[in-house]
Order: sequence, then C-alpha cells, then structure tokens
Amino acid sequence: MREYLRQVGALVWKDVVVEYRTRERVAAMGGFTILVGILFNYAIDPTAVEPQAIASGLIWMTVVFGGMLGLGRTFHLEEEEGAFQGVLLSPIPRDALYLGKVVANFLILTVVTILVFAVFALFFGLEFGRHPLALAGVVLLGILGFVAIGTLFSAISARTSMGDTLLPILVFPLMVPVIIYGVTATSSLFAGLPASEVEGNIRMLGAFAAVALAAGAGLFRYVVEE
Amino acid sequence: MESSASPSQEPVPGEASEPVLEARGLVREFGPIRAVDGVGFSLGAGELMTVFGPNGAGKTTLLKVLAGALKPTEGSVRLRDRELRTGDPDWNRRIGVLSHQSFLYGHLTLEENLRFYGKLFGLLDLGDRIPERLAQVGLEKRAGSLARTLSRGMRQRLALARTLLHDPEFVLLDEPYTGLDAHAAAVLRGVLTSLKDGRRTVILVTHNLSQGLELADRVAIQVRGRFVHLGPRDSLDLPSFEHFYREKVEKEEAR
Repeated sequence: MREYLRQVGALVWKDVVVEYRTRERVAAMGGFTILVGILFNYAIDPTAVEPQAIASGLIWMTVVFGGMLGLGRTFHLEEEEGAFQGVLLSPIPRDALYLGKVVANFLILTVVTILVFAVFALFFGLEFGRHPLALAGVVLLGILGFVAIGTLFSAISARTSMGDTLLPILVFPLMVPVIIYGVTATSSLFAGLPASEVEGNIRMLGAFAAVALAAGAGLFRYVVEE
Repeated sequence: MESSASPSQEPVPGEASEPVLEARGLVREFGPIRAVDGVGFSLGAGELMTVFGPNGAGKTTLLKVLAGALKPTEGSVRLRDRELRTGDPDWNRRIGVLSHQSFLYGHLTLEENLRFYGKLFGLLDLGDRIPERLAQVGLEKRAGSLARTLSRGMRQRLALARTLLHDPEFVLLDEPYTGLDAHAAAVLRGVLTSLKDGRRTVILVTHNLSQGLELADRVAIQVRGRFVHLGPRDSLDLPSFEHFYREKVEKEEAR
C-alpha cells in the first residue's frame, strides 16, 4: 500500500511540476475563463437579468468548457519522447496511474475553478452565500466527478486521430448529472438557503464521483494497454 | 560459417544450458502483416544476444513484445519462473527498456527524471542510486539541468541511466548507438560491457554490424519477422559476417 501511494504521489508530483514549469494547461484554461467572464459581462444586461440568478449555470458551464481544454491535454505532455510508454513499462498498477492523473487534474482544475469564481465575483459582483464550506463541497465533488470521467476519456481520445474533437462528444453527455446537481446546489447556496437544502445534491455528486472513479480505475488498463 | 537458419518455433537445443529467458513461437500480427513470425530462442544469465535486421524486419516489434508493451498474437515468453503478461508489474520490475524514444520528461531535471522513475519502481535508496547512475553515464555534473537542454547523445545516456536505474535482470536495447558521437558511444560501450556481469540477460537490436558483434554472445538475423539465423557468435566467421548477413537478408527478401 505504501508503494502504491508513493507511485500515485510520484505521478501527481511530476504532473504538477511539469504544469508549474510550462503553465500550458493553466494558461489555456485561465485565459479562457477570463475571456468568458468578459464576454458574459457584455452579453448580459444586468437591468434585464439578475446576474445572481443565472451565475451558477454560467460558472459551471465555464468550469466544464474550460476544464475540457485542460483535460484534453492530459496525455499530450506524455507523448514527447514517448514518456507514457516508459511509465507503462514501470511496475505501476494501472489504477494507480489513473488515480495519479485524476489527482493531478483535480488540483489543476481546482486552481482554475478558484479563478472562475474570482472572475465572476469581479465582473458580476456576486455573493457566494453564507455557507462557503457547503459551496466548496459541491464544487469540489462536482470537479472530482468531472475529472474522473474526463481523465478516462482523455486517454481514449489521445489514442484516436480525432482526439480533441472526440473528447467533448464523449464527456458532455456523461456530465449531465454533475451539471444538474451542481447547478441547483450552487444556485440554492447563492440564494442564501441553508446548507441542509443541498445535502441531497452533495450526496448525489459524491456518489457520481465515487462511481466514476471506480469505473475509471477499473477500465483504464483496457484503454492504455495494447 | 554456422547457420541455424530455419525459423524456430522451439528454442534451439543447446542454446543456453540453463535458460533464464525463453521465447517460444512468438507471433505478432498487425492485421494481415506478421511483424514477428514464429520467433523462438533461449538465453542464459549473463548472455547478450544481438538481433540484426533490415528496416521493417520486426526487430522493434519483437522488443516490444518481449518488454510486455505488446501482447503476442501467439507464443509465450518466460523469464525464470515468470510467464510474460502485458502490464504485469512483476515483469516490468525485472526488465529495463532503452527505446528509440528516451521516455524522459523535458521539463524535469535529470535528477528529477530518475527520481520519478525510481519511485514508480518502488526504489528507496534513490539518494545514493541516482548520483551513481548519473556518474556511470558521465552526466553527474548536469544533474540539475532540465532534460530538454541536453543534446541527443546526452539524452540517450540519461535514458540508459533510467533503463538501468532499478538494476533490471533483463535488458532490452533498441538501437542504443543511434545519434551518438564518439565519446557518447564509448560511454555507452563501457556501460554495456559492465552489463555482462553474469547476472543480466541482454538483447540488443542494431543495424550496426561491428557494434552489434562486439559484445554479443549470440547473434540473430531477423528478416520479415522471422529469425533466419540464430547461433553463437563464436561460430561465426566474423571477417565475412557482412557478406553472410547480406546473403541471408537478400535470400529471405527474395522468397
């Protein structure tokens, strides 16, 4: 078990260090979210629509679209010099490899999500409700489910010629539960409702993340091995 | 000139008195193409087999099958008591692969690259092992440099350090001399010589006849997926090997 965790930790460390040095994915996703914030700022007339009322939907869509840019690149950094083949030839269990990638993507997407919230707070003057912990739980569980699905399908799409085009087509339909439960819970919390109102949503997001992680860990070896 | 030409389905009798590595009837197909066609051999501990062959002969595919990166369509490989299974962590722990590609991350330093792979292999003594391996390939002064700043030859030497980091008992080397200058080739030759310590079994794939023959105990010639020659180096007439090799290749390609 200790070796397993060391292997997962090594993968996470490597992905985070490479991302910190290249800023390839964070820059693409961050740039996208700022641009989306600016565009929505001009596209929405605050005298006709209350920004607070639609903010949760806009935030989740921005996270998902922006996140897709980064998830699509998950295995690109491995292609240079065939490094992923080197990892596959090491004794790391395939589920540990998957989990390492999921954790690294989760950390990167969390940074981007914080940026999304900051951008929307800046442009729309949003208030995030009275339950920051519940909001954090909703958002982090939603991101985890998204990343668990996205990492698996990113590995599939990286091995096809359609690659980046294929990824959203595969992932978006599976994201419907995350979007539904994430958006409704976020809206409720933005509206100042008590945290107990979103307990069911949090449980559903947690269950989705757990199922997605289990499926990803079990299926990953069939995706990466020839 | 010795020749054990026909494609072997079974290990050639007497090849290795105590075989450590045995391949039997290996076949790997890509659709209608048989990239590896009925390859069989056995090697003992400390033996180095060189596989020669023209482009497209299936040498790299054979190495990928032996490494466990590709599942054989037919046949089996056994390393001591362990049957090859694709993605088997125990198999991977026992092999080291030097490929055409370095498997290195350009945005990690040399030390970080080795540390990363060392952790994947579950090594605990990386503090001692990494400087040792870097010194072995003459890169100890570049430990803190990013791998992408290295020349082709230096990257190949670092890849060799990565290959040997976990002290594998079965080493697969695919064209290790490609792109190396004289100094780097000498360093590589020194490391390869040190591999012949009686503990390891090595398979070397190369186009270069003189470099391939230099350290070989056994020599195979692969053409169109098949071994058209397999035998001990000692039984070869080395001065006329180039002629022998060409003859074997031309004969098989004309078939």
